[in-house]
This record gives sequence, C-alpha cells and structure tokens, in this order.
Amino acid sequence: MLRDFFRRVLALMKKEFITIWNDPKTKGIIIGLPIVQLLIFSNAATMEVQNIDVVALDRSKSVESRELLSRFENSPRFRNFYYVENEKDFKKKLDEQKVQIGLMINNDFARDIKSGSIAEVQVIADGRQTNSASIASGYASQIIAGYGAEVSHQKSGAGINPSVRNWFNPNLEYKWYILTVIVAMLSLVTTLILTALSIARERELGTFDQLIVSPLSSPEILLGKSIPPLIIAMLLTMVMTGIVILFFHIPFAGSVILFLVSIFISLLAIVGVGLYISSICNTQQQAILSVMTFMMPAVLLSGFISPIEDMPVFLQYLTWLNPVRFFMVLTRGIFLKGMGLEEVITNLIPLIIIASITLTLAGRTFKRKLG
Amino acid sequence: MMNTVEIKNLTKTFGKITALDNFSLNIEKGKITGLIGADGAGKTTLLRTIIGLLIPDKGKISTLGFNPVTQKNELTPHIGYMPQKFGLYEDLTVIENLTLYADLKNVPHNFEKMLEFTKLAPFQDRLAGALSGGMKQKLGLACTLLGNPEFLLLDEPSVGVDPISRRDLMQMVREMINPETTVLWSTAYLDEAHSFDTAVVIDKGKVIYEGRPHDLAPTPQEFENKVIELMGGYKQEPSKIAENYEYGIPSHPNPRPQGARGNIYTVEADNLEKKYGNFYAVKNNSFCIQKGEIFGLLGPNGAGKSTSFKMMCGLAKPTGGTARIMGVDITKDPEKARSNLGYMAQKFSLYGTLTVRENLEFFASAYGIKFKNRAAKVQEIIEVFGLKDFAEQKSEELPLGLKQRLSMACALIHNPPVLFLDEPTSGVDVITRRDFWNHITSLAKKGVTILVTTHFMDEAEYCDRISLFYKGETIALGTPQELKDKAGASTMEETFITLIKESEGDNGK
Amino acid sequence: MKILFALIKKEIKQILRDPSSIIIAFVLPLISILIYMYGINLDSVRVTMGIKNDDPNPEVATLVKSFGHSKYVNSIYFDNVKDIETAIARSKIKGAVIIPNDFSTKLSRGQSADLLVITDGSEVNTANYVQSYAISIANSWLATSKYAASAGRPAINTQTRTWYNPDLNSHYFIVPGSIAITMTLIGILLTSLVVAREWERGTMEAMLSTSVKTIHIVLGKYIPYFILGILSLTFNIFLCVVVFQIPFRGNYFVLLLVSGLFLFTCLGIGLNISSVLKNQFLASMVAMSLGFMPALMLSGLMFPINSMPVFFQYLTRILPPRYYVSFVESEFMAGGVNSIRFENAVYLTILGLLFFAAVYKNTSMRLEKDSSNHMREMMPERQVRG
Repeated sequence: MLRDFFRRVLALMKKEFITIWNDPKTKGIIIGLPIVQLLIFSNAATMEVQNIDVVALDRSKSVESRELLSRFENSPRFRNFYYVENEKDFKKKLDEQKVQIGLMINNDFARDIKSGSIAEVQVIADGRQTNSASIASGYASQIIAGYGAEVSHQKSGAGINPSVRNWFNPNLEYKWYILTVIVAMLSLVTTLILTALSIARERELGTFDQLIVSPLSSPEILLGKSIPPLIIAMLLTMVMTGIVILFFHIPFAGSVILFLVSIFISLLAIVGVGLYISSICNTQQQAILSVMTFMMPAVLLSGFISPIEDMPVFLQYLTWLNPVRFFMVLTRGIFLKGMGLEEVITNLIPLIIIASITLTLAGRTFKRKLG
Repeated sequence: MMNTVEIKNLTKTFGKITALDNFSLNIEKGKITGLIGADGAGKTTLLRTIIGLLIPDKGKISTLGFNPVTQKNELTPHIGYMPQKFGLYEDLTVIENLTLYADLKNVPHNFEKMLEFTKLAPFQDRLAGALSGGMKQKLGLACTLLGNPEFLLLDEPSVGVDPISRRDLMQMVREMINPETTVLWSTAYLDEAHSFDTAVVIDKGKVIYEGRPHDLAPTPQEFENKVIELMGGYKQEPSKIAENYEYGIPSHPNPRPQGARGNIYTVEADNLEKKYGNFYAVKNNSFCIQKGEIFGLLGPNGAGKSTSFKMMCGLAKPTGGTARIMGVDITKDPEKARSNLGYMAQKFSLYGTLTVRENLEFFASAYGIKFKNRAAKVQEIIEVFGLKDFAEQKSEELPLGLKQRLSMACALIHNPPVLFLDEPTSGVDVITRRDFWNHITSLAKKGVTILVTTHFMDEAEYCDRISLFYKGETIALGTPQELKDKAGASTMEETFITLIKESEGDNGK
Repeated sequence: MKILFALIKKEIKQILRDPSSIIIAFVLPLISILIYMYGINLDSVRVTMGIKNDDPNPEVATLVKSFGHSKYVNSIYFDNVKDIETAIARSKIKGAVIIPNDFSTKLSRGQSADLLVITDGSEVNTANYVQSYAISIANSWLATSKYAASAGRPAINTQTRTWYNPDLNSHYFIVPGSIAITMTLIGILLTSLVVAREWERGTMEAMLSTSVKTIHIVLGKYIPYFILGILSLTFNIFLCVVVFQIPFRGNYFVLLLVSGLFLFTCLGIGLNISSVLKNQFLASMVAMSLGFMPALMLSGLMFPINSMPVFFQYLTRILPPRYYVSFVESEFMAGGVNSIRFENAVYLTILGLLFFAAVYKNTSMRLEKDSSNHMREMMPERQVRG
C-alpha cells in the first residue's frame, strides 16, 4: 500500500519536474529572473540617503557662511549645489525637484556668531518625500551643529553624549537588511506563481480530468503537486542566499540547519496558499489575478516597509494570516541576529498552521470542484 | 480565369519536417474540392499557405490571382476561411459573433437568412461557448460565409459533429454559395468527400490523387476503400495490442453476476441523472453492459453523452442514480471504481510538453506498475502501439492520429477490464480509424468491456449494442440490426436520422 | 474605422462577461489604498524600546518618565543588561537606552554625560528611529531639567521646515504614489494575457483571414483596456481625494492627462509581453518581474532614486512608474509645477510610443515571422484595379 503511494507520488513529481525543467525558457525565467532582480534591487534600493542636491541662499555672504557651506560641499552625502540670489529662484529649485533640501542663511549670520548670540540657519526639506526629506535634513542639522560647536564662544557645558551601538549590523548598512527581505520576496513570487498556475493549467488543458480518473488520490496529487515547486523554491532560495553571503559579504550569524528548516516551512506555507488558489480557479488568468490580490497585501503588510507593531491593531491581527510576515522575520532573524531555537519555533508555529490549513483546503477543494 | 488557386513546386518546411514537398495543384473555379489525407499529410499547412497565413519556402502560388505573400491584405476580403477551432469568441453571443465578423468583413448586418438556415434564430442571445458542438460549427460556418466570399476554405468543419448537423452543414454551404464560388473543404469523412466535384488526396506533402470522386469509385464505401489503397492500403493484422493485453481485475475480483441469463454485468448505469437548475442534462439513464461487450453511445451533439460519460467515470457527480464499474459504486468509492477503468477523453489530454515515453512512464507509475517492471512495460507498449519512431518526441508535436493512439496506450497501460472511449476517432484519418477499431474489437474479444461514443455511423456497426441518446434520454437501445429494423433503414446513418426525427415528432405532440 | 469599432466593441463585451478583470480594476485599488493608508507609515513610527537606569538620582527618574510620555515610544523598564539582550534578540524591543550611574553627577558638574543607545541593527529603518527618538527625548529632557542652566547653548540654531507637507504626513505622498504601483499592476496584468489567449483559442487565425489590419488589432486591444484603466484610475483618485481626504493642490485635468499617458505605457508593456510570450505561465512571471517589483522598488516611492548608484539611476529611466511617481506626488502636494509636469509627460510619451511601436511590430499578421522577402520576386502579383 505504502509502496504504491510513494510510487504514484514520485511519478507525479517527476512529471511536474519535467514540465517545469525541460523548457529552457521556463528554467531561465524561474532561476534567472529572481537572481537578476536580486542584484538590481539590492544595489538600487537603499534608505541611506545619498547624492543630496542642495540649493543655498546665502544672504550673509560672510567668511562664516561660506565656511559653513564648504562643510556641506565636503560631505560625501551632498552632491550638487545651486547658489541662488533670491527667494524666487530658491523656491523654483525646490518646486522643480532639482534639489532635495534648501539652506537659507540670514543677513546677520556672521554678526550673530561673532557677538555670541544665536545665529539661525533654515533648512527646508521637500515634503513630497517625507522620509528621505527628514533624513536629509537630519544630516544637514548635524553638519550645522558641528560647525556651531566649533565657533561657539562658550565652553561646553552639561550635555548628553549619546554613544550608539547597533547590534547585529554595526554600521547600520541598509543592504544587510534589504537583501534578506528581497530574497524572501523573490522566493515568494516564484513559488506562488509556480504553484498557483499548476492545477489551473491542468484544468484548462483538460489533463486534470485524466489525473482524477487515474488511481491517484487527493493526498497523492497534493504531495506530487507541492513537492517539486517546494524543491525548486528551496534551491532558488539557497542560491540567492549563497549570492548574498559570497558576493555581498554579509555575515551569516545563525544556524544553517535552523535556516534551512525555516525556509522550508515558510515555503511550504506559501506552496499551500498557491495550491489553494490554484484549486479554486478554473483558468490561469483567474489564478494570476488571485495571486496578485494575495501577494500585494502580503508583501506590503509583511513589515518590510513599515513595522507591524506600528499598524492598527486590526491589521496586526490580519498579519497573523500572512506567511510572508513570518518568512521575513525568520530569514532576517536567523541570518542577521542568529535567532535561537525557541524564537524560531514561535515563528514557525503560525507557518505550520497556515500550511496545514491551506493544503487541506486545497486537497478538499479540488475534489469538490468536480461538479 | 479558370483556376482559383494555382500552386507550382511549392515547398514548406517546419524545422526538419517537410509539410509540403514540391507541391503542385490547381483548384478550379466554381467547384467544391474535397481535401483528403492522413493526419500530418499537410492539409492545414496547404490551406494556411493558400491564404497567406504561412509563407512558403519556395515555389509559386497564386490565389484568386493574388500573391498571398505580398498581397495578403488585398486577398483577404475575397475569401472566407474557417480554421479548425472555428474562430468563435466563446464569451460572445451568437448574434454578437455574427455582428463582429460582419463588421470585420465590412458587410451589412442581414442575418435573418443565415439564422434561419442555421436554425440558430432561437439561440441568438446564447453565448457561443454554451452552444453544442454542432451549433458551434454552424455558427462558425455562418461567420465564414458572411459577405459571400469568392473562395471558401473550410478546415475539417465536420470533426466531432453528429450526422444530422453534418448534413445541415453541407446543405448550408451548397445553398448559400453561388455558382461562381470556389470551395476547398478538408475532411476526414469520405462519404462527404465523395459528394464533391473534385477530390484531392494528399500524402506526405504530395498530391497522390486529383480528380472526380466518381471516377475513382461509384459508391462512398468503395471510394473509402480506394482512398485507403491510394494512401498505402490497410492490411488487417491481428491486433498486437489485444495480444499483449492480459485480462485481470486489479482491485475487485468479483463482478456481480446478474441478469436473467446469469450474465456478468461489468458496467451498470442505474437511473443516472444530472440536473442543472431546472434543466435535465441526463435523465433516467440506465443500461447494463456485459463483459466483453462493445457498447456504443450515440446521439446528436449536446444530447448528454459526455455528461453521462463523465458521471460514469466519476468526473462529474450525478444528481441522482449511480453507476457501478465491476460492481463498485462510483459515487461511493470512486477511487476503487476507477482503478478498473481505462479512460480516453474526447479532447487530447495528455501532457503536451512531455515526450511519448515520459507520458507512458507517468501513467504506468500512476497506475502502480512497479519500478523494476516499468521500463520494460513502457518499451513493450511503445512497440505494440507503433510509437517507436516517436518515443522521444513531445506529445504536443504529434499528428492527431498518433496523439489518439498514445491516449489509448495510456488508457490501456494497466490492463483495465473496462475501457471508456469518448470519441476516440474524432478527427482521425480513415486508415488510423480502421486500425483503431481493429484493436477495439480484438480487445473486446479478450473480455474487455468497452463503452464508446462516436459520430461516425459506419463505426456504430462495430458495436454489439447501441444506446441512442437524445435530449438527455435514451430513445432506443439494441443491436445495430435491431435499430435499423426499427427505423426501417438500411444504413446506420439513416437509422440515426430517422429515429431522432421520430423522437422529435413525438416530443412535438 | 468600422473594423476598429467592431473590435473595440467585441473586447468591451468580453471584459464585461468575465468579471475577473473588472474586479481587478476596482477591487485592487481599494485594497491597495486601504493598505497604504492604514498599514504603511513612514514617519512618526512607534517603536518599543527598553530602558535601564543605573542612576539613582530622582531627577534622572524624570528622564525615564519622559520616555514613557513620548507618543512615539513604548518603553519597557529593564533591570539588567542580560534581559535587554534577550529581548532584542527576540524582537520584543527594537532597542534600548541605558543610563549610566554617573549620569546625573556629570551633568551637575557641567560635563557631558554618556547615554548608551542600543539598537537592533537588523531592522535598519527602525534602528534609525530608535536612535533619533532616544537622542531627541534626552535632549529635550535636558533643556527642561534643572541642569538646563549649565547646559551648553548652541551657537547656531537650525530651523527645519518641510515644504509641501508641513505636517510631515507620509500618507500625503505614499497614497497618491501608490496609484503608480496599482496602475502598473493593473495595466500590465490586464493586457499581458489577452493576445496570448486569442492565439490559444484560435480566434486570431480566423481574424487574420478577414480584412483586419495590424493597426486594427493593436488599437482594438489598446483602446478598450485604456478605457477600463482610466475608469480604474479615476476610481483610485476618487478614493484618494474624496474618501481618504488626501490634499490635492494640482489640476484634475492635467492629472488625468498625464495618468492617461502613464496608462498608455503600462498597457504597452503588457501587450508586448503578451504578443512575445504565448505561454501564460511565462507571461505572468515576466509581468510580475517587470510590473509589481520594479514599481515597488525602483519607482522612487519607497527608495529615493537619487541615492541609488548612478547605473541604477539610469536603469530607472526606462521604467514608467518612476515618472509617474514624480509627477503624481508633485501634482498632489505642490500643485502645478509646469517643468515637472512637462518633463514627466514627455518621457512617458516617448516610452509609450516606443512600446506602442514594439507592439505593432510584434503583432504578426501571419502564423509565423515574416522573414522571406525572397518570395516577392518569385510570384506574380495581381494588379488591383480601381
């Protein structure tokens, strides 16, 4: 009995592999596209605001104001400088997004510094991009404060000297963070499309009838349909992780075994979602549209763009249904933080529940769909 | 101009395959020309090349005086072409399809005559996808005939169509065209071809016969034999498939002995019923099939044959009644019931991207053939089914006849005691069809119970018993001779038409 | 004209028959706006952090309290460093502040006191918030504490103003910007399968044997989906402005005009995918890779384009969402800035026309690539009279 079971599952698996793997175009797209995207997105997507362009209106035109501006010019974060003579031009540069921030130095800047009264500098940020604007204006304030401390007549008094330690990522390199996110996201996309279309495609082509008529039982079809995409997705994730470690030199802090187990179970949950989608759809088009409707919220609410703790309570509960959330916590946690067993298990439990529910539903649905 | 089409020394290849080989042919104006040939002989390629959908490698071609390669835009307004899939938008209604094609051909919206002819008037607002096969074909033809094209090309318009619809189709073409119109009609039905002005038989990309069908043979039956002869002949040999078959009942050893004479009924339909809303697709369908019997399910398109079929093998749930295969109730234990079953679907439904061998291997293991026996079994089947030269080819690239043969091989791989064949010969050339029936009858002799549907009425003669199905109900059941006697007809085709018309008359009262 | 009209009518009927594309056109924008509105927040993010106070001075206790009072910080009090370590490792807290035992002593002596800030560097964004919140809370505490008098006074005071968005509300640009992502998705998804489907179902073959010309087929696909897309877009803008009250300072006519251009480019991408790849699986993989992901990562909505390495900045130039994000944010928040309108409109037009030309070229009027010019000379052509 058991032997027959394995024999049939293996047969189905082999068939699935051949269909996916025999077509060079498909193979290229499944493996090639994610890797190209990994390389592009990881290099391009950064929150470390760089190349800031500045417009400056220097009304003081003093040694001091020029000195302050030269501090900006010497900072690697700032790139192009536009010196304007009036507010109209100043506003125009900002309006047209030629610059990200503006600096306005008043007439009495030099006098105030010399006289020991507080000089004022205005930093104007472009609020059309509040996040990079506030980061850029933060850099600007630091430079101004640094210059201010130098020219200050007063000996430094009581103050707070913060010393910051960033654990797991000492230099707060954005790349470390975004790479783990992108690996998870790309595995998600590939796995979902791979599984969501698989039953829908067989339905469209009529081959699913042939499968049903054969002695393959629902659990056998389910296994045969879920293992090949799982293996391919595992391979893809491992290749991408390898690239992250080798080419981006990001230290792998955690346990390799825990990492493998975690991505396996995460992918299993995603396979479950994909197969469930596939089992309720009659055509590939419906399947693709459903994938989109699932994926967009799943990616956006995974905590990668804004932290889950910051979401309204209702949405926080909703993210418990989102396998991507746990997938990202696990990859990032094990990769960068060396997450321990106990913590890994806490995150695996929801994934296991999601996987078992979706897979059961999928198995039931494609049988019930017979009409 | 005497000839609508003039082709000289035309060659067309696809990769390594030569579809048309130094091909020359003239098609006379104002005549109906039948195009006959085995699957993969190059019929579709020829039609497509004539209207410029394909570009030949070398040679000369002129259609209505135009060069289809450079003057496709000038040529298309003069022709009507119906591809194999008829080109209907299934999510548009009948009238919407007609309107669309009328607009595309820039002709006025006068559909009354067309709707009357096709008898589609009552269904104008039905989606084309919801029409029966026969009605779809008529609609496709109606769309093609719009604008009275000078030259009509029909690519196997009668595949999968019941005899009544086939007659209607033929009549439609004859009445809708004027004497100047040229028709090129590719077909697998030789009785159809026999009634045309000219017959062109092509084989392996070359013309092997061109002339009046009556010059070749006076009757359709003899014509069929002559054509088979031209195509290399068919010699009936003992079926290797049947020889190779070992009768065995994999999972249920005791079919129920039943019936007055203690017959063993291997397949039973017990008041099968399928209801969609208020509409009965199948109603009170009951029959019993004995071991080793060939049971034919005949009926017009849309009569409910496929639905019955699907319910019998557990692909659709009956709303009432049940079916038993080898005594196992299909609604109670579908998996067990199906393990006794070989199923060949109407539409080719094997994995197109897998090779012939891979498909067989898959089904062999899906049906539980042990690994160590598998390779040998698959090899044996490849040889027995004559698939040796194609074993490593992707199945989607095979010609239709070979696809059907492969489907049958997959259905038989586990030696099932019961075989369900849904239009196994639809769209298959005449030699392959004869070959197929040789296997089917030989298998039945070895004890395989066979349930089969077909639209070829000559094939119905091979069946031991026939159930004639109409509007969801059985209207006649018996041996072919009994049915013929009942209808007072000499051929199965006449019988079919008479019995259906009678039943329609009854319903009218 | 009649032919084109018939094809458009046909396509519209098909769209209406299959509810899935309509659902996508209206449900997707709704879901996505809800998510961007409530699920995504790029400023004033609340973080949970730990505090450990080693200084028994009661004045310092008020510093601990001010962490508790901050509306951006959720503070948890810890007694030992070990617990902080575990809490960070388990992501219970995103960072911690440790006040050393000589904190008040140093301040009262007029010296600068150390304050240890620890962050969870694995989440870089949050780590940055932890840093800046901790420092600014400590500084504002110092300014109001009894040590304020002896505190150093800055020589230069920096006044930061944020133009176009004085409330610093990230939703004001994220929500309009999300239209770019949603519309890329809709534009590409709707069209990426439609041509492939006609080939699969054999309707293309029938159509090619009628008087239909390439331009009819191409426009017959563009126009109906453009209409659907514009409806979806209008719905999207309606949700933004009327339902979620995102301030709009621009001109509705210009907004629709440039949005139309953007839609035109997206439809072009989808139709190209569809006419090149006739396999639905591949088409959807490529649609995802060219649609959703780049729109999210490379459009400038989430990650500033200026900060990317130069090569990747150039790469974003071939992506339509980039131009649309820039335009739509500016149109909503700054109102009419003609140079931004003009520049983005021009780029979108160029891209749109390029894609259109590619669709035209990829729409074959035969069943195979038109490659054999040699056939022209070999065959006679019929002279068309009149």
